[in-house]
Amino acid sequence: MIEITDLTVRFGGVTPLDGMTVTFDIGTCGLIGPNGAGKTTFFNVLSGFVRPTQGSVRAFGDDLLAMPHYKRARWGLRRTFQTEQAIEELSVADNVALAHEHSRRGNRVSRRADVLDALEFVGLGVAPDVKVETLGARERRLVEIARAVVGSPRVVLLDEPAAGLPDEETEHLGRVIRGIPEYTGALAVLVDHDMSLVSACCEKTAVLDFGKLIAAGPTATVLRDENVVRAYLGTEPVEL
Amino acid sequence: MPDWQNFEPFIVSGLALGGVYSLSGVGMVVLYRTTGVLNLAFGAVGAMGAFIAWSLINTFGWPAVLAYLACVGFGAAVSLIYGMLAGPPLAGRDPLVKAAATIGLALILLGSMSWIWSDKARSMVLPTTNWRYSVGQVLINWTQIIALALGVLITLTTAVFLRLTGLGTAMRALANDREITAALGVPVRRVEATTWVVSGALSGVAGLLMSNLVGLDAATLTFLVISSLAAALIARLRSLVVTLAAGIVIGLVNALVTPIFSISPYRDMTPFVLAAVALLFLARHQQVSFARRIT
Amino acid sequence: MRRPTTSEVRRPATVLALLLVVVLVLPPLLSAYWIDVLTAVAIYSVVALSLNLLIGRVGLVSLGQIAVLALGAWVAAKLAFVSSIPFPLVLLIAGLITLVLGTLVGLPALRLSGLYLALITLMLAGAITVVLSTTNFPNGGPGFLSHTESSFGNPAVRRPDIASSDPAYFRFTVIVAALMFALALWHVRSRPGRAWAAIRQSEPAALAAGVNITLYKLWAWALASFMTGVAGGLLAGSVGKLYTYQFPTRDSIILLAVVLMGGIYSLWGAVVAGALMKLLPALLDDWGLPADLLIILFGVGVLQVLLTAPGGLAAQVPKDFARMGGGLSAVVRRRLAARAERAPTGTAPQEPAP
Repeated sequence: MIEITDLTVRFGGVTPLDGMTVTFDIGTCGLIGPNGAGKTTFFNVLSGFVRPTQGSVRAFGDDLLAMPHYKRARWGLRRTFQTEQAIEELSVADNVALAHEHSRRGNRVSRRADVLDALEFVGLGVAPDVKVETLGARERRLVEIARAVVGSPRVVLLDEPAAGLPDEETEHLGRVIRGIPEYTGALAVLVDHDMSLVSACCEKTAVLDFGKLIAAGPTATVLRDENVVRAYLGTEPVEL
Repeated sequence: MPDWQNFEPFIVSGLALGGVYSLSGVGMVVLYRTTGVLNLAFGAVGAMGAFIAWSLINTFGWPAVLAYLACVGFGAAVSLIYGMLAGPPLAGRDPLVKAAATIGLALILLGSMSWIWSDKARSMVLPTTNWRYSVGQVLINWTQIIALALGVLITLTTAVFLRLTGLGTAMRALANDREITAALGVPVRRVEATTWVVSGALSGVAGLLMSNLVGLDAATLTFLVISSLAAALIARLRSLVVTLAAGIVIGLVNALVTPIFSISPYRDMTPFVLAAVALLFLARHQQVSFARRIT
Repeated sequence: MRRPTTSEVRRPATVLALLLVVVLVLPPLLSAYWIDVLTAVAIYSVVALSLNLLIGRVGLVSLGQIAVLALGAWVAAKLAFVSSIPFPLVLLIAGLITLVLGTLVGLPALRLSGLYLALITLMLAGAITVVLSTTNFPNGGPGFLSHTESSFGNPAVRRPDIASSDPAYFRFTVIVAALMFALALWHVRSRPGRAWAAIRQSEPAALAAGVNITLYKLWAWALASFMTGVAGGLLAGSVGKLYTYQFPTRDSIILLAVVLMGGIYSLWGAVVAGALMKLLPALLDDWGLPADLLIILFGVGVLQVLLTAPGGLAAQVPKDFARMGGGLSAVVRRRLAARAERAPTGTAPQEPAP
């Protein structure tokens, strides 16, 4: 469970996050909102790249903001990025091993087995010793996800994993994401613009608009909420 | 501690050198702000120009003024050619890569200088050095006055130019964001070319003055870029007025250390130490960098 | 662990064979002058290796490695004069002291990135060089500070007992250098190497994977300082008498140039760099050409690498050879196919080469 209380980020006259208060509990939770709503900023606060002006984040009882950024991964916080960041010069296995050896459950004896297991979980049909720079976008994303689920994480943040992928790939991705809580025991937070993916994976969803939380609850209800529709489509009546 | 009178001649030479450091620093800062290139070959360009002027006067019998113009022109030409050839391919790369490329230029010039002129000691005496007069106990020559005056003048002129003219505004826009500036219809290549020419001309002037104040020796002249660099870094590669002040201070400190015998052997450390301190000061607020790899 | 492939076994075997040739076969074939040159190549390869690791693996540029080399030489010379510790231990201690000094510098300096880091290393190196030239290298005079004005008649830095002759010292140097390369390889293949690869590509991704960036940058810095310190000790033993002019700041710039030209994506690039820096000048001298041409060449090399081929010679040459080899084998295969086709007996014609 992650409890966010009054989280605010303010700099240079901009307020990307404004008094965000929400609780993400079990399973996979969605976080949606129009572009610039503050979703990536929120992830960046959790990752430790951005310091909030005020507010607190408690995850599984621990004060996340009190930890230095690299220690959060050791604690069990993992994340994928909007533009995928698989390390090109390393092999697929080494990319995943990188996360494993810096995590809290990462011991050397089980490393190879855990790595191969994670690769199988994401369904990456590529030999583990292939260098990432030879792979295409879809495979790289799967490598990133494998990196995020290896070694008993506690929270997995997924930042627009379906961006730029065609529909068939998104289906496979959806299956993987749905399986994350059971495979890892972790809480997953999914940010994406693909509403069918969000509906398929997340029981609960929160919505940000201009840094403020405008809705939170069961996904189907939230997607029909008129505040949410207005945030995405504006207030002009839509002629169909 | 020696008494005040012993310091006086050093104040003069320090101010003069400081003037040259300032005008070099300004040339570097403007170039960096406009193109993102920190030109570490600045000194080498000026040095080679000075050597060319020397040869024109002593081997080919050219009149001095034409030779000096050739020096400045050489500086402008070499810088322009470099800027136009190496600028575009490296335009999107990290400033480190751009600066490293200028090291390539510096090596080419250094090698050429020692090949063509070898390591013989030479002296380049500007006619202004012969016009001296005394102030109290100290002898001042006109070269020194010109050095300081040019330093101040060029800084102020450039600052005014950048703020008040169209070209200056274009340069400041480029410093901010190259792509947006291009999208606005500003002739980016032309503005960059102009900046390279001006910066190169300044290095020619600096080379001439320096060869007279310090000596005509390729290595010394080239590495005097360190002092100018120190001035530019203290100004955080931004403020021209701070560059001016810093350059003069560096010149003064370096010179004033000389009569203090206990630390005098270490005086060559001054620009290095000052630059290192300036850099560490700059590092105070470093965050995680989102820049991607440099190669 | 999985079983290694044939090519993975073949490579270390080739390297080992090469090493044996260099150590056993070369020395008796060469004159004293060339043994000296090759000793210098081996020493400067190690220095180049430290820079190769910093730039190629972590993305850090240091313009002060020659000052670190001078420090290592200074410490080693002092230890050699003042004590009777066996030489290999002198090297180790010199390396460790240099490691500590390098780490002390790295702690504040590594907060800077890219260009500013390079500049501060240049500045600090310049300052160190001034200090060294003022305090002078120890040269075996009496007392711990051990510098006498006239070094005439002073002993040279001592060498290990089993390796006091020039050819023997050359072998010793090559073996130590090989050990340094092995140390580098071990780092690259295991945890630090993975962390460095992540840092070099994207610091946010590295952090998100839990990499303590400061720690790993310092580790690389410490390793580079250690290696250069050891190289300094080797240099002290090699030249015997140390003078400031042997460590000009200009050499740090040239080191950068040759490391870039040699290639930063492969450890072999460091060997190429060492050869460029110490073998080429000797060759040019032998052929009566001015050394200044080399400086110009290095300048052109830097520009070429940065503008076009970031992999440098170490990446380019094997590719060129592979292309050449591929072309040759294609020609040979075509010839064989043509001949088979013309043969009277019934062997089917082979497929034309790709």
